[in-house]
Amino acid sequence: MLQRKMVVLIGIMVLFSMILSACTTVAPAAPAAPAAEGGEASWWRTAAQSANCEGVTIRGVSESTPPSNFAKEVLGPAFEAETGIKVELETTSWDQMYSKAINDMQANTGIYDFVYIEQDIIYSYLANNYLTNMTKLIADNPNLASPDFDLSKFTSFIDNFKDANGDVFGIPMEAFIKVYLYRMDLFNDPAIQEAFKAQYGYDLAPATTHQQYQDIADFFTQYGADNGLELWGTTVQGNTGHSSSFYEFFETIAPSFGVYNWGINMDNWKATVENGGEMNSDKAKEALAFWVGLLADAPPEATASTWDEVAASFAAGRAAQGWVYGENAAWIATNPEKSKVVGNVGVALPPVSDGVMADAESGAGYIGYYDGGAFGLPVSSKNPLCTLLWMQYIGQESVQADWAVAGSRIVMESTYDDPKVQEVNAKTDNYYTLMREEGPLFRGAPPFPFHAAMVNTVQPFIWKALSGEITPEDALDQAAAAADAELVNLGYGQ
Amino acid sequence: MRSNRMGWGLLTPTLVILALVGFLPFIYVLYVGFFNWNAFSNQLGMQWAGVNNYRRLVFDGDFLDSLWRTGLFAFVSVGAELALGFLLAQTLVKSFPGRTIFRTIYVLPLVMAPIAVGATWRLLTIPGFGPIPYYLDKWFGIDFRLATYADQAFATVILMDIWHWTPFVTLTLLAGLTALPKEPLEQAQVDGANRWQVFRHLTIPMMMPVLLTVIFIRLMDALRIVDEVFMLTSGGPGTATQFIGIHIYRVVVPKTDFGYGSAMSLLVLYFTIVLCWLLFIALSQVGKQRE
Repeated sequence: MLQRKMVVLIGIMVLFSMILSACTTVAPAAPAAPAAEGGEASWWRTAAQSANCEGVTIRGVSESTPPSNFAKEVLGPAFEAETGIKVELETTSWDQMYSKAINDMQANTGIYDFVYIEQDIIYSYLANNYLTNMTKLIADNPNLASPDFDLSKFTSFIDNFKDANGDVFGIPMEAFIKVYLYRMDLFNDPAIQEAFKAQYGYDLAPATTHQQYQDIADFFTQYGADNGLELWGTTVQGNTGHSSSFYEFFETIAPSFGVYNWGINMDNWKATVENGGEMNSDKAKEALAFWVGLLADAPPEATASTWDEVAASFAAGRAAQGWVYGENAAWIATNPEKSKVVGNVGVALPPVSDGVMADAESGAGYIGYYDGGAFGLPVSSKNPLCTLLWMQYIGQESVQADWAVAGSRIVMESTYDDPKVQEVNAKTDNYYTLMREEGPLFRGAPPFPFHAAMVNTVQPFIWKALSGEITPEDALDQAAAAADAELVNLGYGQ
Repeated sequence: MRSNRMGWGLLTPTLVILALVGFLPFIYVLYVGFFNWNAFSNQLGMQWAGVNNYRRLVFDGDFLDSLWRTGLFAFVSVGAELALGFLLAQTLVKSFPGRTIFRTIYVLPLVMAPIAVGATWRLLTIPGFGPIPYYLDKWFGIDFRLATYADQAFATVILMDIWHWTPFVTLTLLAGLTALPKEPLEQAQVDGANRWQVFRHLTIPMMMPVLLTVIFIRLMDALRIVDEVFMLTSGGPGTATQFIGIHIYRVVVPKTDFGYGSAMSLLVLYFTIVLCWLLFIALSQVGKQRE
């Protein structure tokens, strides 16, 4: 009896496994690895042999994003084929990535040979001497310096990963801007245009001011409700338990109101207005009130949305406009398997307050977030020379175009002109052109050595404002006071 | 003498492992608690802080709030699990059609990893995608958004814990009930005691050792809850479900405030031991009085 039960049970399990296998989507074939030309392959192989790296496995950790997944699924195997060095790239959530990387480097355990360094955390890593000086490592090992690797070919984004002496501590692997995406099909619909003009007295077009943004958000939320559509006026990256909401506010919304560097005075390391900071200034409070108010026009998942869910919501056609990380622009605009708005994605500069554009043009401020990251080589790595080869491999000009198409990221000037990139550029309403021409108006995070500590100090107040637990005004007053206290704890602004 | 030596010899491997994985980390955490040590500080390495980290705790509103929140969560969830568990155990101790199938299905949550429980509930409750918000809105007009409404989040976290752990309480109490001697219960019925009197004056006192064990296990688990809640709400909205375990995680891991986090961990350990000890004394006294 028992035996029969076991047979039936195993049979059910096998059947279930077969059904699951059948349901699994067949993974799309990876784009062809960049072909080595002439003697290149032999150079990589020779270099790997001379550094005793053949058969070695190097390990890295990065956030699970389109650019990182391309590195893992395409560049890693191609590098292994060229050199015999296996690359194990762990792609995980943003929080886990940081925890794992920092814990590894802090404890000096050497689990990871390369780690993703976002532009905003590099200053903390440099202050802690976590990273290997790549410039020096290449100079010290001239036999391992690839002829196809040239630091001067990177855009000025690489400057974020240099120390005061100009030495490089990270090889850029992604760079993009957080752009204003809108639904062209909705914005260009004559009936909608007419209704909008009748209601607001001006033409429907991508917002250039916050009031216009608010009007458009209100209009499309009502339009969705009136027409029984799952459509809202805007996305909001308003997760009430994740750092992504802190970043959307302080790196996207607040700068567009003229509050830069998170409102922290970098001369005396203070955040409160009374001490010379701007975190709880009237402008900052206006910005937070505006942003929190947008939740009324956002899909219900907004308070649970990080950057990934914002992109997913927009791709699902649930929002008429939104601030979306540029790394998602290409797939949202071109991949019909993942996106319902293919062919209908418009790209524009985000709305700003008076004076902000002038600030950005003069370099005194910025209109939004220029995001990106590099792969860095921890001092604790057990395979620095093998990893040096990998870093140079991903920094070749020849691998950049496919990477740019897969992940909407560009780190070399020459990539913009590549025919593959130009083709996708046309399908994404010229996102790449916008990044090339207007990129300087955007800026990355301020060079704070205490970046993560400050994020974790301030974010609970932003979450409380988003959930309505406290008012935006109180949230910023309390956040600024907490920031001042934390800065003193960390030894700044004594 | 020989048996003593042999006993110690047999115990040695266990003691060594315990020292390595329990005692030494404890001493290290105790040591780190007396230092300022933060990867993002402008003073690299560990700086002697004396008892300053413990002093900070007394004035840390977030810490005290999370401690209170954890206590409330533990009290409500463990209380509900005990009540429900006892009720179900009393039901399952009797025979009824379909009992075996019910038991099998009922204990399924118990075999799930806490992180999977959190993920399951998250999928069930995501606004716009999950069935729970959809049907609550459709049938009752309730706007169910965990990431927006603090009360909903707190209640859902408690429900999730009850769903996950009541089977454990039920099974343990069921084992206890099954093992109870029948004679005193039958004798009481012969003497004219009603069901409630039998339950209150016989079943409960006889079950006290099992109940104490269950309460301790569940209480300690509830006080250190992290995984499910982190997966479901990440401690939000705001800090509405930021229990002490999540609070310590945020201080130690993303904020890298190792010294302060160590002091916090030790204080929480101390509170847990004191709480369990007080509970043990109280319940033991109740048991003795009834005897």
